[in-house]
Amino acid sequence: MKKLITLNINGQDFDLAVSPRDLLVDVIRKKVGLTGTKKGCGQGDCGACTVLMDGHPVLSCITLAVASQGKKIQTIEGLSEGEKLHPIQESFVEQGAVQCGYCTPGMILSAKALLDRNPDPSEEEIKQGIAGNLCRCTGYKKIVKAISAAAEKLGGKEEERVR
Amino acid sequence: MFLPEFEYFAPETLEEALGLLERYGEKAKILAGGTDLLVMMKDKLLKPEVLIDISKLIELQGIQYVPEQGLTLGAATKIDEVQHSLSIQKNWRALAQAAGELGSAQVRSMATLGGNSCHASPAAETPPALVALGAKVSLACPGGEREILLENFILGNRKTALQGGEILTRFFLPEPSPRSASVYLYHALRGAMEIDMLNVAVYLALAPDLRSCQEVRIALGAVSPVPLRAEKSEVILTGSKMENSVIEAAGRLASAQASPISDLRATAQHRREVVEVLVRRALTQAYEVARAGKEVKG
Ligand SMILES: Cc1cc2nc3c(=O)[nH]c(=O)nc-3n(C[C@H](O)[C@H](O)[C@H](O)COP(=O)(O)OP(=O)(O)OC[C@H]3O[C@@H](n4cnc5c(N)ncnc54)[C@H](O)[C@@H]3O)c2cc1C
Ligand code: FES
Ligand code: FES
Repeated sequence: MKKLITLNINGQDFDLAVSPRDLLVDVIRKKVGLTGTKKGCGQGDCGACTVLMDGHPVLSCITLAVASQGKKIQTIEGLSEGEKLHPIQESFVEQGAVQCGYCTPGMILSAKALLDRNPDPSEEEIKQGIAGNLCRCTGYKKIVKAISAAAEKLGGKEEERVR
Repeated sequence: MFLPEFEYFAPETLEEALGLLERYGEKAKILAGGTDLLVMMKDKLLKPEVLIDISKLIELQGIQYVPEQGLTLGAATKIDEVQHSLSIQKNWRALAQAAGELGSAQVRSMATLGGNSCHASPAAETPPALVALGAKVSLACPGGEREILLENFILGNRKTALQGGEILTRFFLPEPSPRSASVYLYHALRGAMEIDMLNVAVYLALAPDLRSCQEVRIALGAVSPVPLRAEKSEVILTGSKMENSVIEAAGRLASAQASPISDLRATAQHRREVVEVLVRRALTQAYEVARAGKEVKG
């Protein structure tokens, strides 16, 4: 049986008819049409489906859409301001931290969650922060470098986390 | 991978949740963070007809410290809140350490402390730390509430003392003694996102002389279906001076008591050897921290 729900994604409300079993990742991709969020393993291991919920990184492949009402959901599409990339996105481009790009949305959102909580992370803390995001192409070095460069750009000025 | 069909409820009070659980009985499952339950449902290992989401219940939220008594943690407290709580990092450090090792940042921001114990996986991260810290759990049913030691709550692989209709509401950790410390150590094949091959939690309280052990609890994870208290090690440590010979003997006794299995992560023999090393290391670290007075209170 379908339920009518409202999801707040990137600051915009979407009224949607979903079944309780519908996963957030599928609703975001297929019903809302934002395909930046990727689906890899579908069981919590790869992080491709990472979105932010009230600022926290969550795995949309093991999150029910019905359970996501009343939260502020942020996907990769919500990071840039129009054509202007977010500093973390800029750093990923500048450092060559993107190859096929499949892991990139999840990687960048995990990095954002980390930098919001810890604006000046050590290399070890960056690695911890992205431990749940697999990349099959770049070998992580450039990703870690990009996040470190983004931290510098942001100069510890990311907005505070909610919790 | 799709989920099977089910009906979904998100009650706002504990009473309402217990009512739903009573109404649907065996057909219903509690949904907390979903990091175990939804994965199992996707794998078709479980097929509940009703999910009761407990994430809106305020009765199950929050960490509260009452000086001289201890710490109360709602069962729906997220693992990352436990990991980052300053009070837990200071006074119940083994628990903060264990929470910090669970899954990834994403998993920690979704998963709950209650779910980790209710799922009762032998390799789970937080139960050994909670057992070493003397944790009790509160279980609510429509008629009232009961409190039992976590040690008596986890009964086997995926088996708990939860009776039909009961919800785990809170954890309670007693105030640690002054001159005490707790440590959590684990051994895994990879640094991240790995199911532990083995983990060990130690709570050690020193006598006023700061040299002998007044009280100790050692819990081993992933070497038996439930967190295993290394009771023989505890007996020889209690009242003894914390000398190397005693710590080494405690490691050997823990290793002899462990009943690990061989699986793809390690052989039973290798696990027994690692138990000995980890217990020794954890005791040594706890002794140093307790002596240095880093965690001395009052
Ligand atoms: C990618 C990944 C990595 C992981 N890594 C680790 C790891 O390193 N270490 C580790 O220990 N675990 C790990 N886990 C397992 C899991 O995240 C934890 O066990 C977690 O704590 C479960 O909590 P939850 O809130 O998600 O539980 P859920 O999945 O919501 O529930 C688990 C079970 O407990 C029951 N339940 C939950 N809360 C209550 C309650 N209050 N009262 C009664 N019953 C209840 C549910 O009905 C269900 O049967 C991992 C999981 C994933 C997906
Ligand atoms: S698709 Fe969600 S973690 Fe892999
Ligand atoms: S860039 Fe291809 S998976 Fe990371």
